Amino acid sequence: MIDNVIKFLMIFPVAAGILMLLTRKKAFDDFMLFLYGILHFVSSCYLVFFVGKESLKTQYGASFGDLNANVAGGQYFALDSLNSVFLIILSFVFLMVIIYNIGYSRYLPNLKPVLNANCANKNICLYQLMIVAFVWAMTGAILCTDLGIAWVLVEATTLSSAYLIYFNRTKNSIEAAWKYVFMCSIGIALAFVGIIFLNIASGNVNSLNFSELQAAAKSFDPLWLKLAFVFILFGFGTKMGLAPVHFWLPDAHSESPSPISALLSATLLNSAFLVILRVFNILNAAEHSFYGRVMLAVAGFLSLFVTAVFIYHIKNYKRMLAYSSIENMGILAIGTALGGVGYLAVILHLVGHSLAKASFFLTSGNVLEIYETKNVKSVKGLMKADKKTGWLWLLSFLGICAFPTSILFISEFLIIKTMISKGQYMLCACFALLLTVIIYGMARVVIKMTFREVSDEKREMVDDNRKKITPSMYLPQVVMLVIVFVLGVYIPDCLNDIIQGAYKVLLGAM
Amino acid sequence: MENIGMEHGFIILFGLTMLYLASTSRIISHIRVLTVQGILLFLICFLGHNDAPLLDLTFLTVETLAVKAIVIPWFLYRILKKTHENRDDEANIPHFYCLVVSSVILLGCFLASNYYISSMKNISHIYFGIAAATVIISLWLITIKHKIVSNVIEFITMENGIFLMSLSVAKEMPILVNLGVLLDVFIAVYILGLFVKEIKKEFKDLEVSNLSGLKDYSE
Repeated sequence: MIDNVIKFLMIFPVAAGILMLLTRKKAFDDFMLFLYGILHFVSSCYLVFFVGKESLKTQYGASFGDLNANVAGGQYFALDSLNSVFLIILSFVFLMVIIYNIGYSRYLPNLKPVLNANCANKNICLYQLMIVAFVWAMTGAILCTDLGIAWVLVEATTLSSAYLIYFNRTKNSIEAAWKYVFMCSIGIALAFVGIIFLNIASGNVNSLNFSELQAAAKSFDPLWLKLAFVFILFGFGTKMGLAPVHFWLPDAHSESPSPISALLSATLLNSAFLVILRVFNILNAAEHSFYGRVMLAVAGFLSLFVTAVFIYHIKNYKRMLAYSSIENMGILAIGTALGGVGYLAVILHLVGHSLAKASFFLTSGNVLEIYETKNVKSVKGLMKADKKTGWLWLLSFLGICAFPTSILFISEFLIIKTMISKGQYMLCACFALLLTVIIYGMARVVIKMTFREVSDEKREMVDDNRKKITPSMYLPQVVMLVIVFVLGVYIPDCLNDIIQGAYKVLLGAM
Repeated sequence: MENIGMEHGFIILFGLTMLYLASTSRIISHIRVLTVQGILLFLICFLGHNDAPLLDLTFLTVETLAVKAIVIPWFLYRILKKTHENRDDEANIPHFYCLVVSSVILLGCFLASNYYISSMKNISHIYFGIAAATVIISLWLITIKHKIVSNVIEFITMENGIFLMSLSVAKEMPILVNLGVLLDVFIAVYILGLFVKEIKKEFKDLEVSNLSGLKDYSE
């Protein structure tokens, strides 16, 4: 059964894509995209919360999350305790983005007057099609059990999202898309070098299957294994947005349409992180984890540092959100480096960051729609211009900066607690200091934008543009923020099982 | 045994093409280098892996010959004709020094792989040394060249180097990964090609410096 659902998840978008290519009608494409969003969510929930869990329990007679009993599905694509969390996040964020997109795609701001109606229609059709391709590639990258296939699918995400980033067809978006494709292609090529090294390290194991590699990890050649990890960390780290290979990220996130920024930040970075986690597990199983931890910690702190430096004088609010993504990826890397309870923090942070950041980016779409600028200085009095957007903007900020009861508060608290319990006081101080600078930088921008009065020359434009914002452009953010703030005080049992399962997989490899 | 000698000769020729790439400024000759590299890779595949299963061998050889030696150079040639960008002579570093640095990298990788890798049974050290040198030289050239088309060309030589590296591991990589490399190169070139066209439409020329509008500390 699981196998069939996974096959459905992988085959449906291909069929839908072909149909969309053939028809090229906006109404049909809208419908297909929406259908895909709903079916993706339903089948993921079914997989993760019902059959997957039961099957993992009965099939192997072990508790959910047992390291040796964590694969259910086919040979190449399967569900296990670790990727369940990633799959459910992807599905949920995708559904929310699709709902937002209903209102957003009506007034796609980028359709320049020079484009005639026919051409504009064609562009929107391609936009919808590429979203399907993008989500398909991410789903595959999350579900696959083989490093080779994961590599191919992560590359496929680059190619499908390049068009989405370039969608606005301005000088800036072309620059952003070029940097994105070029840097990520080089990164992913270097990751392939890592895969070759892993192949050399693995000696007689002629496979790239994660669990087979992990099982045989003790017999690997340590030098080549460590080299392989460096290349894979930097290769997939490019895609994940870890400093010092993050340069494409602020450009791409700020220049793409807001729903795409939300997808990029909340789901794409996670898929790359999952691959790094899996390779880290192999390193862990081979008992060379110290080396990997140092690398991850360095990349993590560097990401925090870069964010702190750049966010302090930020002029573009979408770039600010992009830098915040780099920061949060850094926190994930640091949590992984710490190990122990840090792993639990990583999983919680992953859930919280994806939801809060998706909400933040979607709200930034509303702000852009109202003020028609990304410049921080030109946006004043958001609360007066549109009360709902103003509150969403403020609450998204509180969610992302780990204001209790946001779930991010728990995860960051756990990370600091782990640092103290391990006696890493210096690291803890650095971590807290950098986070404080980042939160200060963001708070300054958010507060400047939210309060005060709308300037007189803008009042008319703002009043006009407010009418463009439909209820479907508020609803997803409200839902996601409610979840973020509720999870901080109460995690339902079904979700808790999955989080604990993933936590045990990471712990089990110690 | 004769074949092995010949194959090694081709690998050394492959390494020399990188030196040629580093020392010339005309983009048309860079594209010719790509064709030569494609043919060399085809010969290396054909001579060095003729004990592989027939299907794998056919796939590998046809892939390298068709895509690397014909389709990609042809595609780039078309772009070049449309954009009229013939030279990349404003590199940050004069060609002579490019040549010297590339030679040093080649020598270094060759010595290092002879020293470290020759003790490992399942890796061919000549393959590995030249492949590593190709990747490093390509990455280095990307950083110093000014034209976008040159960057694409160096990206492809890097992929060629990685391909050679995957051949250096005596074990077979799964065919899926080969397929992936093919897909990667092909689509990357296609997309990059499209972007080159769009960039040309948007900006006057194909200088990398045009693409530096997005930054945080401007003014």
